[in-house]
Amino acid sequence: MTQDLAELSRVLYSPTAIALYLSAAFVYLYALTTTVGRRDERERGRKAQMLGAVLTVLGLTAHIAHEIIRGIVQSRLPLGNMFEVTSLMALVGILVGVGYLTFVRKRPELNGFALIGGALLMGMSMLLYAEPGPLMPILDTWWRPFHVSMLVAAMGIFAAAFVFTGLYLLRDTGERAVAAGRTSVTRGSTVGAAYVGDLDGGGPDLDDDPDARDHDAEYRKALRAGIPIVKLAVGTFVVTGMVSWVWWVTEDSTRVGVTRFLTVNLVMVAAALLARWFVPFLPSTATLDGLAHRTVAFGFIMWTVGTIAGAMWAEVSWGRFWGWDPKETGAFLTWVAYAGYLHARATRGVQGRKAAWIGIGAFVVMMGTYLIANYVIVGLHSYAEL
Amino acid sequence: MSTESTLPPEPNPAIRRPSRRPEPGGPFAFVWDSVKMAWRWLTRMRTALYLLGVLALLTVVATAVPQEPNVPSTVGRWLTGEEGPGAGVSRVLDAFGAFDVYGSAAFLALTLLLFISLTACLIPRIRAWVRLVRTSKPPLVRHLGGQDQLATFTTDRTPDEAHAAAQQVLGERHWRLRAHAGDPPEERTAKPAQVAGEKGLWSREGGSLLFHLSFYVLLAAIVFGQLLTFEGQRGIVEGDTGFRDTAVSYWSYNPGRWFDETDHAGWRLDLDTFHVDWVRDPLAAGAGQPTEFRSEVTVTPPDGEPYQAEIDSNRPAMIDGMRVTQLDWGYAPRVVVEVDGEVVHDAFVHATASDGGFFSGAVKAPAAEPDVGLELFFYPFAPEGEDGQPVPTGAPWDDAPMLLFRQYRGDLQLGATQQTVNELDTTGLESEGGAFLRPGQSVELGDVTIRYPEHRRWVGYQVSSRPQIPALLAGAGLLVAGLIPALYAYRRRLWVLAVRDEATGRTLVTVAGRAFQRPEAFEAEHAAIVAELSAATGGGFDEAAEPPDRSDGSGYPRATEDRTDHDGDRPDHDDLTEAPTIRDRRTDVLPAPARSGPPSEVVRR
Repeated sequence: MTQDLAELSRVLYSPTAIALYLSAAFVYLYALTTTVGRRDERERGRKAQMLGAVLTVLGLTAHIAHEIIRGIVQSRLPLGNMFEVTSLMALVGILVGVGYLTFVRKRPELNGFALIGGALLMGMSMLLYAEPGPLMPILDTWWRPFHVSMLVAAMGIFAAAFVFTGLYLLRDTGERAVAAGRTSVTRGSTVGAAYVGDLDGGGPDLDDDPDARDHDAEYRKALRAGIPIVKLAVGTFVVTGMVSWVWWVTEDSTRVGVTRFLTVNLVMVAAALLARWFVPFLPSTATLDGLAHRTVAFGFIMWTVGTIAGAMWAEVSWGRFWGWDPKETGAFLTWVAYAGYLHARATRGVQGRKAAWIGIGAFVVMMGTYLIANYVIVGLHSYAEL
Repeated sequence: MSTESTLPPEPNPAIRRPSRRPEPGGPFAFVWDSVKMAWRWLTRMRTALYLLGVLALLTVVATAVPQEPNVPSTVGRWLTGEEGPGAGVSRVLDAFGAFDVYGSAAFLALTLLLFISLTACLIPRIRAWVRLVRTSKPPLVRHLGGQDQLATFTTDRTPDEAHAAAQQVLGERHWRLRAHAGDPPEERTAKPAQVAGEKGLWSREGGSLLFHLSFYVLLAAIVFGQLLTFEGQRGIVEGDTGFRDTAVSYWSYNPGRWFDETDHAGWRLDLDTFHVDWVRDPLAAGAGQPTEFRSEVTVTPPDGEPYQAEIDSNRPAMIDGMRVTQLDWGYAPRVVVEVDGEVVHDAFVHATASDGGFFSGAVKAPAAEPDVGLELFFYPFAPEGEDGQPVPTGAPWDDAPMLLFRQYRGDLQLGATQQTVNELDTTGLESEGGAFLRPGQSVELGDVTIRYPEHRRWVGYQVSSRPQIPALLAGAGLLVAGLIPALYAYRRRLWVLAVRDEATGRTLVTVAGRAFQRPEAFEAEHAAIVAELSAATGGGFDEAAEPPDRSDGSGYPRATEDRTDHDGDRPDHDDLTEAPTIRDRRTDVLPAPARSGPPSEVVRR
């Protein structure tokens, strides 16, 4: 019976929830491409958005059901090992990302990116899958749900912020390239530039004006062409490699290790190339940058509170509040990195692209310390069942 | 300021007043200049970010390289080249203090520089903030053009009544207000009668200051905590004699510099029973994981009745202000060593868990001649195999315990070399063979008889006293309390201008607002204020309604608002990025001719 339930919870998670999220993401991404189309296309896009919403809700249902059943099977909150933490991180990331975009920002067409980010995290968590089991006694306290869920939520939020930051950098690169090309080729002519970022429906009449439609399609192509494809792919591979080497070095069999390393990297490269294709349909750089900043600010507060709670728990449980354990060092590094991002945003001359790169770096630091402290360096926090 | 000046008046004084002191000249001016340049470099935000980055790098080093205060034996092995990257590299690391990063001069200097930089950055900000809170008033406008949010409605009340209503509505919403009666229109800098409001200016910057100031509280708590703290470790065997809280009875003893030996209360702790269990079914989920880790102890206060207490993983005992935490545990086999019928050792040996699934310890018996040393390996679960020989497993429960030992004779060099209690220094010792024992068995090796009558368990406790905890908690509380307004208090300005429209005889009320952060959230707030104000004044919609700044019939000069950056805040990126520039450009035209509508409806840009 328990075995069946455990199996059910696994199936609900993978492939059910992952597949639902991914299909919802693709439907949303299709809807995004229709925002610049003709009236009938926009109508189809609206329908696609509704389908995407249904798929998202189904995915969330499967995901939450997975968490509940897993909790019942092991009669404890599913927050005890790496798989469970990463799974909940994805759930929080999707809930916060989709909820924020849909209800606060009212830009549901961007949900696809949040969903893809969440699905990627879930795919990664399957590399860490552990069968349900009981909890170590030291974890059996009310401190755990508080401290861990706080930090996990913050990680999910930082993941959403990372997606926004990456999209901002892509869009900004494209826009800059178009602006540079325009001044050099057409000597400052602004033909085709009138519709930049003008996506809330007030743009030119694309239904009746074929010229405007052509301009628009050309502009989209120019934006995409402005992002060098090889540089993007190699860059994504290198940046992902800064984190994913952990799989390479910790796997006993080199073949499995390299396969995992390459899988993670190539999936991220594919995601980056997909995002590049969707760059013309993104909102303005200002909106994306603002989204990234708001999510980081929220995540930063959660991270701060979660880390303080962790120090309080450590004082109770281990008799010391801070000992520079690898996990504690990781929490500190992540905190410093995101504090650096927030300060950069407030500093003249570092704003914009430079701040965004700091944001990307901060996410690399977070994921890197998370994996390293669990896999590579053994410390007091190493409860993870690997 | 002369009336001829076209400059707007300065609502708030500038942060940096020019220095009144003459600068030193002469041949050593360059010294002064270098100091000034260094100071400027140190107090830049960018420098602070770099310093923070270097600090982060040092913590990475401290994670990758073993630290002397935590694992001195590993550091020793690194220095001799047995472990790590080799003796040469280790010597270089040692020269840079990499084996004690948190006690190194570089770390201290960096922390000091960071705090100097922070102080230098905070002092002018605090002064500016205090001045702001004491003297600043919401700025007035001459003209409402260029604001993010603008709405106009008409009412039958007089302009004065409308302004009074605005003061009430905004006052209830906790805006800081400034009512202006209006200047005579002849003056060049004349401003019309208006109510100006401001919000979030003190709290955002104040929150940021509180956040940064909390680091001083944390630093003070950590520094004084280092001086006042005490931490000691001691293991106790079940049912064996416990230990007293005195300076000499701890195995490891780390008092702060200001912690006195007389600060020990002298209570006594005995371990009655220790409960530890695991998931024993190898097929069950989480097999091998511990499920219980709890000790029942008896505490005897220095002058009081003994009482029972329980110490759990997450429930340490508090005895006289000292926290007693379970750190680790192990098996304690009782080993009796007799040489020629004379007992030279009879005690419980603390065996500690090793990676190989066994517990290791050592017996050192200098009373024998020559000394007897035993290396002990305790296998808690080593059932007999088919051939009758014990098969050691990695399982930690003592269902089939077996004690394996190797005997050494010679000079133990006790006192001559640095040794740990549970490890035998076998240099200068001669191996005399070994054997394994089941509980109750004994074995004779030459003239030495070794008996293993029973085993118990021992638990390692940490006793700590940390008077700094309340201060640390206060610092952490301040940090969070400052962080939330620093990120979530948004600066907004609002102006309510009511003018008599001579053509209709009604009053035209314009509500203009400016958001410094998150303009899209301000849109709704502005709309709510306009709706409330129009309801409070019985306002409605008029055919001729037009914002006064566009009518040009008001007689006010078409100047721009005083947008001096008077409060001297650092420019917030939000101001630049989140302003709805595109929408503004598109709609920067006259409002569409009014349609008639319900009274509460307003013209929105």
